[in-house]
Amino acid sequence: MDKSSYTRFSLWILLLPFVLWLLLLILLPHVDMVSISLRERVSARNYTFSFKNYTEFFIEPLYWRTFVRTAWMSVLATLITLLIAFPVSYYIAKMMRGRLKALLFILCLIPFWVSELVRTYGWMILLRETGLLSTFLQWIGLSDQPVEMLYNDVAIMIGLVYTSMLFMVVPLVTTLDSLDDSLIEAGYDLGGSNWNVLTEIIIPHAMPGIVSGCIVVFMLSLGNYLTPILLGGKDSLWFTEQIFTQFITRFNWEQGSAFGILLLILSSLIVWAGLKLSRQSFTNVMS
Amino acid sequence: MPENSNVTFDLECRQVTKSFGDFTAVDQVSFQIPTGSFFSILGPSGCGKTTLLRMLAGFQHPDKGEILIKGKSVLGTPPNRRPVNMVFQHLALFPTMSVTGNIAYGLKRRNVKREEIRTRVADVLKRVDLPDAGDKRIDQLSGGQKQRIAIARCLVLKPDVLLLDEPLGALDLKLREQMKVELKLLQETFGTTFIYITHDQSEALVMSDQVAVMNQGRFEQVGTPQELYYHPETSFVAGFVGDSNRWEGHIDAIEGERIQIKTVEGESFVGRSIVKHQLKKGDSVEVYVRPESVNIENPKNRSDLPNQCRGEVISVLFDGARSQFLIRLPQTEGEISVAMPQTGEHAQLRKGDSINIAWAADQCLCFRRSSGNHDG
Repeated sequence: MDKSSYTRFSLWILLLPFVLWLLLLILLPHVDMVSISLRERVSARNYTFSFKNYTEFFIEPLYWRTFVRTAWMSVLATLITLLIAFPVSYYIAKMMRGRLKALLFILCLIPFWVSELVRTYGWMILLRETGLLSTFLQWIGLSDQPVEMLYNDVAIMIGLVYTSMLFMVVPLVTTLDSLDDSLIEAGYDLGGSNWNVLTEIIIPHAMPGIVSGCIVVFMLSLGNYLTPILLGGKDSLWFTEQIFTQFITRFNWEQGSAFGILLLILSSLIVWAGLKLSRQSFTNVMS
Repeated sequence: MPENSNVTFDLECRQVTKSFGDFTAVDQVSFQIPTGSFFSILGPSGCGKTTLLRMLAGFQHPDKGEILIKGKSVLGTPPNRRPVNMVFQHLALFPTMSVTGNIAYGLKRRNVKREEIRTRVADVLKRVDLPDAGDKRIDQLSGGQKQRIAIARCLVLKPDVLLLDEPLGALDLKLREQMKVELKLLQETFGTTFIYITHDQSEALVMSDQVAVMNQGRFEQVGTPQELYYHPETSFVAGFVGDSNRWEGHIDAIEGERIQIKTVEGESFVGRSIVKHQLKKGDSVEVYVRPESVNIENPKNRSDLPNQCRGEVISVLFDGARSQFLIRLPQTEGEISVAMPQTGEHAQLRKGDSINIAWAADQCLCFRRSSGNHDG
């Protein structure tokens, strides 16, 4: 074996696990899902080709309204995460030096050593009727009976933002870290106010980080199942819950697959629109 | 520095001091810069020159002292309100904006009308000789072009004082030489006061009207490049500005301005003392002789210069106009570098040749040895 074919061989060996993973766990199931979603059950073990599962989504208001609600809540969760994470990241990346910087960064990371389930239960302990917050409100006399703070949209939002925070902070800290301090100083030196420096220099520089953070957080929120169900209760109306219901409760795999494919297409469209709006390219954002 | 009260000063510092913990970065520095001059602050790295410049720009605040621009104190003025602009060491051009965007940034902050911004940007681009660069991205510019855009970005705002923080440091040698001349011409055409900090003596000497040599937070000497070069007042200035041969020794005898010195290695020289230093017999001194002030003697026609040596050429360091001979003095094994005359007179000298060298007493400067002031 000569050298070039040897390197090609070793490259394939290295790529093999990844290619297998992509093929078996991502590509194959999706191809199968597309084929399942495009059939209609006539009788037992008798299927015909049909778009009915897709038209069903647009005809039945519950389905597409749930989707719109899920997408809208995810966009909102993404924006709130960005608004909270940006100052935090700026503080970590630009105001802190040395060990304190590393410490703060790790503090952001530590909650993610605990599983999402446990973290969400943490919020439940705080927010439920007999929870800490409710008890505290009664103790200081702001309320004369237990307050239920779970099972509403605000609780879902808190959970989503909390779960997503790290995925926004990491890309933001990385891009803000690469912003040369002298650019900020030059911004002031040439007469810029705090607002000018933020909007003309810091945000344009951080844009790739902002967009990549937003894509990740949006996708995670949209595809989240645990947090909306636990914090939002049975009526959380999250689209993943619909998919779950179709597959597991109603055993309607055809409908469930169609929803899965629709979720993929629609979320991709929203991300694409976001990239167009912020004038960023996908490769630029993900590198 | 002119003490005439009619002269207007664009910038004045009075006893400016800045410490970081125990370390005093800038120690009671006072100076005045007349309108429209090119003023350089020259010093080794860590001498406090960057701190001083950042205080002028407003990014740092002096612990003590006063900074006046056009006669008004600016200590309470934040950087974005000061009538000074800064060209940063790595230029700090905004990579997310075009060239026009960079230059227009400051004008927009002053609410200049859009039409006027366009004409002023076009005008300043023409003046820095890059009339078509407006639409380019920053990464499409060459090093020298970036330099000019960085300066144009500041000068378009017509600042009272332009601060330059070693902006030529990142350029290669050829471009640096060219930019030196260009910067000087830009300063003359715009008439703006430039304050330029650098550790490169040649940059400071070529461009400046006045140079301040800074060391350990203090100004050692302020003067024209010629004064610094020919009449250094301290041993630090003599050692830092230009090349020098240096000896340590003590004073054997004093006759008026003439001083007899015995070096540690055992050579005897006749030198001149700086009036300020008031040396006495027996004082420890440092002696400086510039390579170009040493004559290579013609054996048939010896001069009557008081310092005469015979030595052996141990190396010919050819560097065009800056070529030097390294000569060993056999009695003491000491070495001395001597500039090669540009007339080509001694170009035939080779390693191992024996020659006579001589220099005048005036070219042999003596300074009292300052403790700890000079460690190289």
